[in-house]
Amino acid sequence: MGLFDSVSYLALNSALDGLALRQRVIADNIANIQTPGYHARRVQFEDALARAVRHGEGAVGATVARSLEPTREDGNNVNLDTETLLNIDTNLRYQLATQATTGAFTSLRTAMRTN
Amino acid sequence: MTIFGALGIASTGLTVHRKWLDAVSDNLSNVNTVRSTTEDAFQARYVVAQEMTSGDGGVQVAGILLGDPEGRVVYQPDHPLADELGYVRYPDIDMSSQMTQLIMAQRGYEANAAVVDRARETYAAALQIGR
Amino acid sequence: MSFAVTPVTAVTPAVPTVDLGAPAPVAGDPAAGARFDSVLGGIDALQQLQSTSQGLAVKAVTGDLDDVHDYTIAAAEASTALELTAAVRNKAVDAFTEIMRMQA
Repeated sequence: MGLFDSVSYLALNSALDGLALRQRVIADNIANIQTPGYHARRVQFEDALARAVRHGEGAVGATVARSLEPTREDGNNVNLDTETLLNIDTNLRYQLATQATTGAFTSLRTAMRTN
Repeated sequence: MTIFGALGIASTGLTVHRKWLDAVSDNLSNVNTVRSTTEDAFQARYVVAQEMTSGDGGVQVAGILLGDPEGRVVYQPDHPLADELGYVRYPDIDMSSQMTQLIMAQRGYEANAAVVDRARETYAAALQIGR
Repeated sequence: MSFAVTPVTAVTPAVPTVDLGAPAPVAGDPAAGARFDSVLGGIDALQQLQSTSQGLAVKAVTGDLDDVHDYTIAAAEASTALELTAAVRNKAVDAFTEIMRMQA
């Protein structure tokens, strides 16, 4: 059925997946803040998603890359401030994407109601 | 400016002020580090902040300046590191100015953390429009 | 015997009648046409609001949107317009059902 096939719906679903992965990776980074030699990992999907939407596709996978920021003397480059704020930013983005997805379902229900 | 740009900018502010705090802490812990006159004295670290023009903006550490390598030459003949004339080098660190910097770094960090809190509440309020 | 058949002439009514004049044309009434067009225009505007809101949502999650309230306001406009259209439709269906029940 074509109800949930639109580019925007699939794009929002991909964004939700990417943001959830980003939350897990941030938690991982914070847990490893004292591990020698550990490089912070970053989740990227926004650029790939923008390209896919321009070509009319919606579903795209997220990729995980290592951060190339300078390391401290124990080889660890996790910055607590950056991770904390990325966490807050991801929370807000997740809230936005959830609202947008819920809005699609709510619109359908409003159109279906007969009273 | 990205969608939640204030958070990224505050993050750069927090990082720079924390590095400042680290540098001041390093200076204060080494205020009595003695070196012999054949070496440089312990050099105080000064964090140089610079406006960041790429991305969302904010601040970045342009570099770390080192203080005076001459230090203060003090006559202490019974120190194990004293030279033939009895002099050793002490770092040229003014404790009162370091304490002032400590307070400034802390206040700067707190101000940026307050920006994070307010920005987060603002964005959450924007997401509540029309619900 | 032959019967002369007189052709039937027009029947003259015994009761006097009143001339009502030509009936007003139903098709081609410009006011009714304008009302129907405004309903269609409202549905077009609703489609426009929905697609704007969805486009801004996708822009927001791909990181191209500068102000988040642009998206939330567009979403609120679209959902309000949809609820209004649905309410009008439901009332129209209820009225039609009521009339049909009266005629039955």
